[in-house]
Amino acid sequence: MILIVDGLNRHRYSNLIDEMFALRARVFKDRLGWDVVVEDGKEIDEFDSLDPAYVLGLDDDGHVVACVRALQTTGPHMLSDVFSDILDGEPPLRSPTLWESTRFCVDTDRLSGGKSRNSVSYATCELMAGSLEFARDSGITDIVTVIDPIMNRVLKRSDCVPYGYVGSTKPMGKTSAMAALLDCTDERINRIRAFAGIEGDIFVDDATARALEDGAETRSEATVVPAPAQFASEDAAATPSALQAWCQEQLGAASSTSERTAALDLVATLQAAGMLPEDTLSLNKV
Amino acid sequence: MAVIDLSKRNAPANDLRQFLDTVCDTHQLDYAAYAGVNPIAQTVHGFVNYPDEWQQLYVDQNFQHRDPTLLAASRSISPVDWKRLHREEAFDTIFHAAHDFGISKQGLTIPVRGPYGDIGLFSVTRDCSEREWQLLKSSILSDLQAAAVHLHDHVVQSHDMVRRLTHPALSQRETDVLQWIAAGKTQQDVGDILTISSRTVEVHLRSSRTKLGALTTAQAVGRAISLGLIHPG
Repeated sequence: MILIVDGLNRHRYSNLIDEMFALRARVFKDRLGWDVVVEDGKEIDEFDSLDPAYVLGLDDDGHVVACVRALQTTGPHMLSDVFSDILDGEPPLRSPTLWESTRFCVDTDRLSGGKSRNSVSYATCELMAGSLEFARDSGITDIVTVIDPIMNRVLKRSDCVPYGYVGSTKPMGKTSAMAALLDCTDERINRIRAFAGIEGDIFVDDATARALEDGAETRSEATVVPAPAQFASEDAAATPSALQAWCQEQLGAASSTSERTAALDLVATLQAAGMLPEDTLSLNKV
Repeated sequence: MAVIDLSKRNAPANDLRQFLDTVCDTHQLDYAAYAGVNPIAQTVHGFVNYPDEWQQLYVDQNFQHRDPTLLAASRSISPVDWKRLHREEAFDTIFHAAHDFGISKQGLTIPVRGPYGDIGLFSVTRDCSEREWQLLKSSILSDLQAAAVHLHDHVVQSHDMVRRLTHPALSQRETDVLQWIAAGKTQQDVGDILTISSRTVEVHLRSSRTKLGALTTAQAVGRAISLGLIHPG
């Protein structure tokens, strides 16, 4: 079964999220040897603090056996940053209806071989179907996914061959990584479902979702999602003085005429845009 | 998509309101609203086509600092159906008040994330049966996603500073695809020429449109030519 955890309900699923980070540590650090940071047995990177959506595959006991992370390509995401190598220095795709999926993995220790409900193959297909259905139901048409060649082969064998790739395959740890394109069409979803024999709704129902929450018995009804800083405060605007101080630092640090001219140009541009007070330069002289 | 191309307009405030009206008309929606923060300019933008009296009350009550359709929804990457927010503290207070102005609590918010950590929230409402709402949602969500990003990018780019700092960064593949489209080739032709699938061509085209702030491929080609990114057909 599939559970979606995102910025809205993450505070209720910290146990499952920790299980996911531990699974990622075992897969990406131990098995694939990728250059990822593991602390306390958990693999967490800066993109986990950007409120991504996690698609979690759970076994019948409610433990995480598969996971993947989704981010919008309109904002910061891995291909625009740490995976830019894969794109050969080219700018990444940016589209309102394209999501990026990263850290796709399944727990090969906990799951068995074969094609039963408790197998690696089934869990992989269920997670693929779950993430594509979640994206489709969000109005998303396509996914660019960063995978290793083994996962690429799994996709092909599961009747879910990528329709294209961007950039090129690059060495990464003990394997390599590539960016594949998948459409979120019913045709593709149905092919994966048929391959693995997945039927019916794979997403957890409301009652199960509540039972899976941290300390489910003691959970209170009313909860408030912590708001991000930029909307929560009435005084959201950063102090202009920080920018002003930075500009003055740049001017002070200028070691040549051209550097000083560039710094002055920047100040003038910022002043013209109304972002710096007119007295910025006079303050610098004091 | 039959919506206003914002980048060709001059008087922003009126056009943004008109953009919301057009989105509502096109997609059978009652109301639409946008709120966003421009992190470079440090300005907050908001505009809606709700009744004026409701706007006034909303601001008087400082609902924007408690409204879960803004605060909670900004932490999602997917459209947030307001049903998901019923457990949030301020939801009942705000929508009880909204009811008096004929505003339904059936709606959704599309969160937009921009490259600079900027966040925009595009919300729509529609008073109808649950079944109708689900059908409507599935048929319009892709269009609404595109409208939300177009609106948000336009607001962020409307600031002089941002425009100076940013320039559409097309990849070589996107440039190649646009160049062949400008030369009159079909998507299928372009796929054959570049030996990529037709859907890969489509993904690159969609990305180019977003980067160029264009709603249609024709506009994207026009803008790419005017920016010197490709040659006229």
